[in-house]
Amino acid sequence: MKKEGYVRIERMTRSMRIIHWVNAISMIVAVITGLYIAAPYYQTFIADPAVDKYVMAWNRWGHFIVAIIFDVTSIIVFYLAFATRFLKTKPYEKDVPTEGNIKQFFEVLLNLLTLNRRKKFDSSQLDSFNSIFFTIFHLLLLWMLLTGLQLYVHGLASGISSIGAWWPWMLHLFTDWTIPVSAWLNGSSANIASIMDVRISHHSTMWYIIVWVVFHIYYQVWRTIFWQEGDISIAFGGDKYIKVDEKA
Amino acid sequence: MGMDRQESVKSLFTAKSAKVDTKRGDAYYEKLYDQCRTRLDELKKLAPISNRMDFSKSIEEEGVDRRDFLKWASATTAMLMLPASFTPLVAEAAVLMNRVPVVWIELQDCAGNSEALLRSDGPQIDEIILDIISLEFHETLMAPSGHQAEKQLEEAIEHFKGKYLLFVEGSVPMGIDGHFGTIGAKGETFIDHLHRLSEDAAAIVAVGSCATFGGIPAAAPNPTDAKGVMDVVQGKPIINIPACPANPSNMVGVILHYVLTGQVPELDSLLRPKFAFGYRIHDNCERRAHFDAGEYVEEWGDEGAKNNFCLYKVGCKGPMTFNNCSIIRYNEGVNWPVGVGRGCIGCSEPDFWDKYAYERPMSNANIKAPTGGVEKTVDEFGLGLLTAAGIGIAIHAAASVAAGKKSEENA
Repeated sequence: MKKEGYVRIERMTRSMRIIHWVNAISMIVAVITGLYIAAPYYQTFIADPAVDKYVMAWNRWGHFIVAIIFDVTSIIVFYLAFATRFLKTKPYEKDVPTEGNIKQFFEVLLNLLTLNRRKKFDSSQLDSFNSIFFTIFHLLLLWMLLTGLQLYVHGLASGISSIGAWWPWMLHLFTDWTIPVSAWLNGSSANIASIMDVRISHHSTMWYIIVWVVFHIYYQVWRTIFWQEGDISIAFGGDKYIKVDEKA
Repeated sequence: MGMDRQESVKSLFTAKSAKVDTKRGDAYYEKLYDQCRTRLDELKKLAPISNRMDFSKSIEEEGVDRRDFLKWASATTAMLMLPASFTPLVAEAAVLMNRVPVVWIELQDCAGNSEALLRSDGPQIDEIILDIISLEFHETLMAPSGHQAEKQLEEAIEHFKGKYLLFVEGSVPMGIDGHFGTIGAKGETFIDHLHRLSEDAAAIVAVGSCATFGGIPAAAPNPTDAKGVMDVVQGKPIINIPACPANPSNMVGVILHYVLTGQVPELDSLLRPKFAFGYRIHDNCERRAHFDAGEYVEEWGDEGAKNNFCLYKVGCKGPMTFNNCSIIRYNEGVNWPVGVGRGCIGCSEPDFWDKYAYERPMSNANIKAPTGGVEKTVDEFGLGLLTAAGIGIAIHAAASVAAGKKSEENA
């Protein structure tokens, strides 16, 4: 349905929307299973024989599967964003603190803070404010990926795995540095960083991501209602609308 | 200190797996065998130090027969990850342990590690061996005291210069120039004491969580600024045998390895011998099946506890702890913490008192907020954050609606 006086702008292609929802579903599953792994919050049916009810094992399996889906998607997204012309506008160009970007960042922030009384920026494409917001999200996800793999490699203490010794070796090589960094993030005053710091950081980062998601959903709904440009459909239909006279 | 941190970060970056390669081929083991043979022959030529007991006599007196001793020797060979052909060498090394001088000092500690090797249910082979090692100095065990004790120490370090193993029990208080802990009539601080004795030691063995990582004295707020030996002493081979208390089997393993090869065993990035700390508690735990099945003890003494369910929900930290107690257990294999139904408190990991030993799942553990300040559990902190975000959003939404209405009226 095309509203009179508006022009349709494609914002997310089909592949981008698939990636978006794969990420969203993976995150929901990761949070549900992750909370169980951290502190099992439901008791299993005692009547079942133990051999039938790998409840923790299934939760961990689900957690690892969505983690792998997440990791692979991240690698694909990274490749598409930086090495191909998959994205029409390069989001990271909006992160660079140029004069225009800084101005746009504060204009969008002012729009949010003045409750849409002031709107002096081009809202047809990705703006600097949202770009920075998403970059924070990507850093949080990257941190989850690295700390998660570090926690995972503790189970491979033997140094071997079903796919070869290179796997735990590689995980140690790429994620062991998260131990001292986690201790620093946790504000640990201990002499020596411990692997528990990684676990605490992995768990608290989940809360940061949940807060991020809550704001993300609110902001998209808020924009849809107040900007009246159909922003919410970006993630579903892929398009938003912009007033013709505004474009001109 | 700065350099030290850098070194530890560097070693973390380059950490290899905790696995000890046990398939190095015949050529390697034959060479090692010959090396050990030569070393033992050399040790044999030395007379037993001072008037130490003869091992063969000691085990007879304690009522251990030769068959038990050989069983112990083959188990210990396996623990050190050597081929079975090394068993006679290990047995010989045990007998020759009275040729290696040991100086044992206590700093900021509770003597728990000394206790661990003395107060077992009956004298077992590990304990007998620790009886016959040439313990040249041990404040708690030795007969002399005062100036006599000091004289004994001075003589020992002079006489065995460069040869003795220095066992350290307890952390080093670094606060107020080390004056939280002094020793002897001269009031020597623990820092100076440790530096002086480590100068001429062949190697340092830090025993227990305090000597290795600071342990309980280093727990927040760490009033004495306690540190482990490896954060204080540089330029000496250091072997860490953490745990609270350290397992006597692992102490014997390290000494035996030294007697046998003249070298320190393979160590991990925290300087722990891999033969002992290459295992995760969780992977060899007898309750692991209950963990995977989701069967947990909910509170002490419930039906789950009576049925040996997993202790994860009452705070077992086995999944985050590396040690061999789920395999060799304590007191010559009698039992271990998870076996008696009280969960692992991760006592062989750094900062265990603050980060492991709280008997609740990690998400219910008190942590400092990143800003410092009041301790909250991770989940309390997260829910607080979420609530704050929710309130912010609610205010913004309400204000937006009000403002929207107003602007409609104006239009």
